[in-house]
Amino acid sequence: MSDAMPATEAVIIEEQGEARPRGVPALTYALTKIGGALISLAMVIILGFFAFKILPGDPAAAMARDRPMTPEQIQQLREQMGLDKPLWQQFGDYLVNVFTLNFGESYVYKESVASLIGQYFWNTILLTGTVAIIAIALGLWLGQKAGWMHGSLFDKVTTGTSLVLWSVPTFWLGLILLMVFGGTLRWFPTGGMVSPNPPDDVIGQILDVVSHMVLPVITMVAVVYAQYVMVMRASVMEEKSADYLVTARAKGLRDDLVRSRHAVPNALLPAVTLVFMHIGGLIAGAVTVETVFSWPGLGKLTFEAIQGPDLPLLQGTFVVFSAIIIVMNLAADFIYRWLDPRVRRA
Amino acid sequence: MRTRHSKHLVRALSVAAAAAMVLAPATASYAAPTGVHAADSSTPPSDKSDAKTLRIATSGFVDSFNPFTSIYLLPTNTLRYTYEFLVQNSQEDGSPTKGLADKWETSDGGKVWTFTLQDGLKWSDGEPITSDDVAFTYQSMIDDPALGVANGGLVANVDTIETPDEKTVVLNMKAPQAPNPGVEIPIVPKHVWEKIDSPAEHPNDKDVVGSGPFLLESYKANQFITLKANKDFWRGAPKIDRIQYIYYTNSDAQVQALRSGDVDMVTGLTATQFDALKDVEGIETHSGQGRRYAAISINVGLKTRDGQAYGNGNPALQDAAVRQAIRLGTDTDTLLDKVLGGYGVPATSFVPASYPKWTLPAEDEVIMDFDPEAAKKKLDEAGWVAGADGIRAKDGKPLSLRLFVDSTSITEQSQAEYFVPWMKEIGIDVKVEATDTDTITAETTKGNYDMYFSGWSQGADPDYQLGINTCMNLPTGTDGSGGTSQDGWCDPEFDKLYEEQHTELDQDKREKIVREMLRMNYEATPQIATWYANSLEAYRSDRFEGFSLQPKNEGIIANQSGYWGYLTVAPVSDEAAAAADGPNVGLIVTGVVIGVLVIGGIVFVMMRRRNSADVE
Repeated sequence: MSDAMPATEAVIIEEQGEARPRGVPALTYALTKIGGALISLAMVIILGFFAFKILPGDPAAAMARDRPMTPEQIQQLREQMGLDKPLWQQFGDYLVNVFTLNFGESYVYKESVASLIGQYFWNTILLTGTVAIIAIALGLWLGQKAGWMHGSLFDKVTTGTSLVLWSVPTFWLGLILLMVFGGTLRWFPTGGMVSPNPPDDVIGQILDVVSHMVLPVITMVAVVYAQYVMVMRASVMEEKSADYLVTARAKGLRDDLVRSRHAVPNALLPAVTLVFMHIGGLIAGAVTVETVFSWPGLGKLTFEAIQGPDLPLLQGTFVVFSAIIIVMNLAADFIYRWLDPRVRRA
Repeated sequence: MRTRHSKHLVRALSVAAAAAMVLAPATASYAAPTGVHAADSSTPPSDKSDAKTLRIATSGFVDSFNPFTSIYLLPTNTLRYTYEFLVQNSQEDGSPTKGLADKWETSDGGKVWTFTLQDGLKWSDGEPITSDDVAFTYQSMIDDPALGVANGGLVANVDTIETPDEKTVVLNMKAPQAPNPGVEIPIVPKHVWEKIDSPAEHPNDKDVVGSGPFLLESYKANQFITLKANKDFWRGAPKIDRIQYIYYTNSDAQVQALRSGDVDMVTGLTATQFDALKDVEGIETHSGQGRRYAAISINVGLKTRDGQAYGNGNPALQDAAVRQAIRLGTDTDTLLDKVLGGYGVPATSFVPASYPKWTLPAEDEVIMDFDPEAAKKKLDEAGWVAGADGIRAKDGKPLSLRLFVDSTSITEQSQAEYFVPWMKEIGIDVKVEATDTDTITAETTKGNYDMYFSGWSQGADPDYQLGINTCMNLPTGTDGSGGTSQDGWCDPEFDKLYEEQHTELDQDKREKIVREMLRMNYEATPQIATWYANSLEAYRSDRFEGFSLQPKNEGIIANQSGYWGYLTVAPVSDEAAAAADGPNVGLIVTGVVIGVLVIGGIVFVMMRRRNSADVE
């Protein structure tokens, strides 16, 4: 929180400085953005506590729901969960814990939330990382081609397909793929990340994981790649009529070289920013796919924490998801400034 | 100009490369932290088509495998397999049968219970099972409240424990009791647990020493639970080697996993899923009598133990005649048929039909059949007069009631769709309030409701469920805290009978008293029991056969109050099981896809090079 003060000042400085011809100095820019991110993070942390505290119901009673338990036993549970302490003390404990990257102990798993998130984090990164790489590569490539060939059949098919998939519910698409390629054709596993009894050799184990990834990755890529197509397409279309391309053509360069060497690099700028802003959302968006395909990642962990309800775990995943999005947005700001001189000069 | 663009391209690409670098270690590191082998290197690798491993789909929570603290269904089921009780719930009807003890007797009018252990019992590590283990288990729960979280209620009445010799355990009770105090308490090995520093925190998920038919072998949170057969189990070794629970978050995915042969058994199916699996080759569906009752709970006018009223229930419901009218106007048979697809048994009380000894028979004289005319008559007699709109009123107040409906439960929503018009028919206006489970739990605890859908799963002995209908289990606070009451109803007459049955050692007499109590509760109508839903299960009959049901007739396989289900199950035959598996198309397809991608990538890069070479 101590960093918040200079950061707010920096925001003011930036606003005042807008008129100056030299633009915002790099350090001020960095401090502004980092300060803003820290404020957001602080808000998230505070919200992470109170948002889940105002949820109705008593977690101890919810856990004991449907079980023959005496009031003494439920009281014992409540003490174990720290729910017998006054709210301000629970909040104090929570703050101290968060700053030591500790979200307390999960009610359900009886394990520290930090270690649970640590275990599941990499599984989510593996899944969404693969999705991100494929979706970005596919989306940007299709987008620039469609934009260049604006109005052509290729453009219509690409745009149409991606928009249809974009509007398909992830859950529904996942289940359909699961039924066809998992249940009926038996080509791919119906869930999880590894087989219960995986092969012994490393290659076999890698293939095992990859075969588990195929359906969830296809599902997620199908739903998200459209946004990259659209941004890249619009971006290329804008560049297409620019003077420098006329010059390039006048030099006698082949059309596809004009596109790949001149138009695309410039059109990439807005797309790259968007990509970074979306990676954070992609990780949070894994909740549905992980739930459909029982992928042991943060999304599935969150889904189960909601059912518990497992408040410390929910707080933990909420803060982690929010932090990822904040960090990615920050990264997008910096990268855009680095890539595009106009932002520096403005 | 050109150089500047190239610089941008280089920058853009280096960003992409950096992103790839960040993600790459994650891709590479999956095998170490998450691979099952890393966590469980001791297990011999087993073939995928292992004919003797029964794979069950699950979505259950695991808090821990600690028999003192674990309260979720899945781990407590596992613990039933791992640790034998002093007295087991029989397969036939759940009545007490031989467990660790083969003999037990009561003296001093139910105040002293003496158990004699079987000869030659051994823990899975070869140590003998003695009365010391039993005394250690019970005493731990009594001494440390943290160890009483799971089963503390069952030993609340135990005063002192004596072990006159290695085979005898004497439980001296504070007050006489008829329900056997030897059931449902997993007995742990003293020589293992006395060495654990803080036993309440012990996860107990490896190197488990037990006495039941299956022992926990390995556990990977949210992925698998593997149990291995205990070859030295006193009833004889199970016919399969392993039970493996495999996690599926989504129940439709579970059904697909059964179809594809990724798992051998699924439980907790919906009627639609069940019907869809009925004609699938190699799959057998099983609809068995469950041990849960469903009901519409009615606010009878909640009071604390010392008589303070709380909550905002409609006062009209404090009149038993109004509640009976609601019962008469509710067609529970139609609900069962239309909402549950007929997969269940019509309910009479809160004791399910799967415990035939205790349940209230459907032909009992108190049972009121669906009869809207009789309902109207009852309301007329109670002074509720129908107005112009058909809704009844008394002293100017219309008979308007709220009904909580869990917005995530399709079952509750469809029940409400039938219930509301039925009530309108007899002159009661019902307003549906759809909200989430937690809100319903919170509001109903505080007494802020008129009606809501409720239900409990039942143990083999009705004592607990009867107990939470007595006045002494009403809450102590006006916020609903300090007690566990089923419907907030109580009647001193009922309490008297409760005490009687609680100490009545003659089984026949006890059954009669329990029935009488159920009759009283039925007539008072603090709730309308709607159905005992069947458990819908399905398994690969081309891989396994010989599941045991509890109760023996029309019972269930999974989630029994015993360990019978998987004790007798056997592989159909090794050949059949192996044949069912076939080549792994997924792996082949995956391999081909990767191959194509790699080759395609190389070709793409090569062509790019050539193109560039043309220009430069």
